[in-house]
Amino acid sequence: MKQQGDRSSQDAVDLPDLLVRVDNDHDLLCELIEIFKEEFPRVLQSLQQSVVREDIRSVEVTSHALKGMLSGLSVTRAAAIASQLEQMAREGTSSGLTDVLTLLEREVANLLPELDTYAKETIL
Amino acid sequence: MKILIADDDKMSRRLLQKTLEREGFEVSAVDNGRLALQQLSLPDGPRLALLDWMMPELDGPGVCLEVRKQHDRPYVHIVLLTSRGSKQDVVAGLEAGADDYLTKPWDPAELIARLRVGQRILQLEDRLVEARETMRFKATHDPLTSLFNRGVIVDLLDRELSRTRREKGCTVVMLGDLDHFKSVNDQYGHLVGDEVLREISRRLLASVRSYDFVGRYGGEEFLIVLNNCASGQAFVRAEQVRNGVANHPVQTMRGPLHITMSLGVLATRDWDTRPVEEILSEADSALYQAKAVGRNRVRLAEPNTSCDTPSQLVK
Repeated sequence: MKQQGDRSSQDAVDLPDLLVRVDNDHDLLCELIEIFKEEFPRVLQSLQQSVVREDIRSVEVTSHALKGMLSGLSVTRAAAIASQLEQMAREGTSSGLTDVLTLLEREVANLLPELDTYAKETIL
Repeated sequence: MKILIADDDKMSRRLLQKTLEREGFEVSAVDNGRLALQQLSLPDGPRLALLDWMMPELDGPGVCLEVRKQHDRPYVHIVLLTSRGSKQDVVAGLEAGADDYLTKPWDPAELIARLRVGQRILQLEDRLVEARETMRFKATHDPLTSLFNRGVIVDLLDRELSRTRREKGCTVVMLGDLDHFKSVNDQYGHLVGDEVLREISRRLLASVRSYDFVGRYGGEEFLIVLNNCASGQAFVRAEQVRNGVANHPVQTMRGPLHITMSLGVLATRDWDTRPVEEILSEADSALYQAKAVGRNRVRLAEPNTSCDTPSQLVK
């Protein structure tokens, strides 16, 4: 079983921070992860479509929503990238959106399995 | 204490709800600004609110603006909770009517500490409102009987007369005076006199409708204003008041005392444009006549001035 101290610096989630946020409540953590797993793929897909369409307003709104979800689960690096996308969209910059989106996709590639691991662990 | 969370992010809503429930808050949560405004507009709605900035239908600052228009409601302490954190955003949020501002991701300890500040401010506001209401009551009511004081009951009569003229209705004015009250004070002392005044006041209130007005006009004089009362009912209503005083002795520390009241009564008409002073003067004349012919009776004012009921002397 993976212990808290074994976490890699490559982990997407800042687990100590997340545990403070849920007050070490494992049931609540599992509940939040379940909600995230339902919501995240839908919002990410919506962002990807907005970038493809170069719909700047939609990119701003969906990257904002994504940033909130990610920071809520202490997925800090990905949240910062989502914030960058939001800022670019707010400033009306469409060039470079695809590159930043790719960065975000890489960052969250293993996020759902990582979260599943936390949910399954009994010792956090 | 009740608190409202408004956030369209389900996860954020759930985390906030759990965090606040742990701290003993009574949490209600909604996912858009319109529902938040509905909740905050309820008569017994939450007075603490945590609002996300970007929400469907109505955003956080929009909710703030609408809530601040509701001047007749108790104050709502609003904290905007959002990932927008620029100085410009902070200023815009506060100017829209937010009291505080926290950026996401929020720190649980800081969030709770800031909500406690909000609670303290609301408690302070409650104490100030309570003090203001106490002062208002003292300024408008007689301290012994808790009836309206003279200034207020005369103002209320004046207002009622204007309304009566406008609506072509009728207001019944009764000026009542306790009979031989000086002898109560002389024989039993002022404390007993005060007991009598308090009990009679209670009986006067009990003998009229909840929307009629009763005030202490002078030492042992009372002014009663019956709103929207048919002029033909004036005498009957006055008799009810007189009987309410006379039918049962007042229990005092010196034993039961038989107390009576004389009343001068006047019913206004829609063409009656006389000022309140004149109306009161007529009621006072009728009261004087009731006293002159033996007390414990009702005297209606002369018909040629204000009322179509013939002047009558009863008992």
